[in-house]
Amino acid sequence: MRDTGQQPFSVRFDENNQEFAIAGLLRPQYERELGELIESFQKVLAAVRGTLYVNVKRLVRVNNVGFRVLSGLLVGSLEQRPDLRIEVVTSSVVGWSTRKFKALSRLNSRLAVAEYDNDFYPGQAFLEEGGFIPILRTQTQMTWQHERHVLPRHGLRPGMAVADICCGIGDFAVLAFKQFAPSRLVALDHSRSSLDYARRVAGEFGVHGIEYVYGDAAEMLLEDNQFDFVTCRHALQIFNQPELILAELVRVCKPGGRVYVTNEKISHCVGEPHGESIQWTYNELSRLFADFDMDLEFGPKSRRHLDRAGLADIKAECFMVTNLDGDPQGFASMIASWESLFANGMSERRGDDAAFREKFSQGFQDHIHAALHPTGYAGWPIWVASGKKPG
Amino acid sequence: MLIENAAAAKTGFESLLCISMGVDVFASDWLHCDRISSYVARMVSHNRTDSVLYSNLMSSALNELLETAYRCHGERGELSCRVLRDGRYDRIELEIPSDDKARAFFAETAEVLARDDAAEQYRAALFADGPVDPRIGLLELCVDYAAKVQIEVFEAGAILLTAQFDLETEFAHA
Repeated sequence: MRDTGQQPFSVRFDENNQEFAIAGLLRPQYERELGELIESFQKVLAAVRGTLYVNVKRLVRVNNVGFRVLSGLLVGSLEQRPDLRIEVVTSSVVGWSTRKFKALSRLNSRLAVAEYDNDFYPGQAFLEEGGFIPILRTQTQMTWQHERHVLPRHGLRPGMAVADICCGIGDFAVLAFKQFAPSRLVALDHSRSSLDYARRVAGEFGVHGIEYVYGDAAEMLLEDNQFDFVTCRHALQIFNQPELILAELVRVCKPGGRVYVTNEKISHCVGEPHGESIQWTYNELSRLFADFDMDLEFGPKSRRHLDRAGLADIKAECFMVTNLDGDPQGFASMIASWESLFANGMSERRGDDAAFREKFSQGFQDHIHAALHPTGYAGWPIWVASGKKPG
Repeated sequence: MLIENAAAAKTGFESLLCISMGVDVFASDWLHCDRISSYVARMVSHNRTDSVLYSNLMSSALNELLETAYRCHGERGELSCRVLRDGRYDRIELEIPSDDKARAFFAETAEVLARDDAAEQYRAALFADGPVDPRIGLLELCVDYAAKVQIEVFEAGAILLTAQFDLETEFAHA
């Protein structure tokens, strides 16, 4: 959906994976306008063996002139090469592509179509299961007490066009919508169940105007330079290639707008009494996530990542969510959920023995004890960083 | 170009947006099809369940209609594009200035679309030798978008090309 006057489409060949990728807009008036694409494909065809992957995940729009060319290339090449198999990789986000390419697969059994869908990030599936939703709500309520004051320091003002990328169950979007009255608020996530929940909750609370959209944060359909303020909370830390998402956050942000991210450094969770036990468990929690390619130590690295993404005027700060913020039971409930999810779920999945899991659980129990103790202190630190898109 | 938000125009369907421009201006640049379809799609999709997905589908459908009009139209007069909504259903109405050639093309296209073999015809158009069949986009709308496409040819001048669809239901994910 980018301006066709700038860069209608691009092609790329990854030799290692035998993947020919076409991205962008393909709406030519005449087939001859696609001469370079045809030539590139034919060169690739001469070089590949076995299965050729044709990636159209980011081929956002194609007219029938363009599709006729693609159809001819795909079906024609299989007729010429009986040894070859082609797998077209589509995206459910785009909407039309799977249906359109599947029609071609009926013409030749060696042409398959695979839809890249809710398996975008299979490692995170356990974070999105239904039982975790209440605790996500509690977490957002607790962080919001701080962020409502933090966000204006990073440039959020009423009337802005805002995108909340990796919005999860959408509760932050609702709070931001109520507090900052944006002119537009798009909330994007790759979990359909989370989006369904978000739409239902927004409807029940009479909040209308948030656009909840399905998408892959690393390959969004949102247009360039659309938003004054782009948020991405607690998400970069759970993607193994955060730079891909950051590049997208920057792309959709207007020049002069700001990209705002929050992340944890989980080993810095604190609590007293039983500080040592708590410290041990959160150090282990950090290692556990690292074993699943997630970096819960990302928080203080945010500044560096924003700088590498080309942002300027970078601001970074940290706030501590504590048992003294309001309801200590809320804090304790959040830790209890973590214990269930991480000590009894992820740790078991990693293959940890019972003795480890018992000690691992104890640190969470001690954190809960600290939160509810009359003179105890329990904290969960969050790092905030934002940067301005030049231009 | 005239852009207006019109009041209710037809029973059951509420008019959301209408764009009118001289057909000579429209036909002066192929990119107008992409630009108009992208703009209109974005404007009418914000309150659909998934605004970005809907906009992408809507743009694809409208673009095919506009490209058909671009390829076959009369030389003078106004081209109007109106989007109407009735619940889940959207209807696009293109009023296209015509001449004898355009009237003949659309009359023949109406007969083609009236047959019940749109999928076969679409496939044939995809793989036919020679230049693109200008009705390929309309065939695809019937096949991939489950659109009801209607063509009314008026002796006096304009052609009314209408496509009606329920994209949210048709493309609902399991």
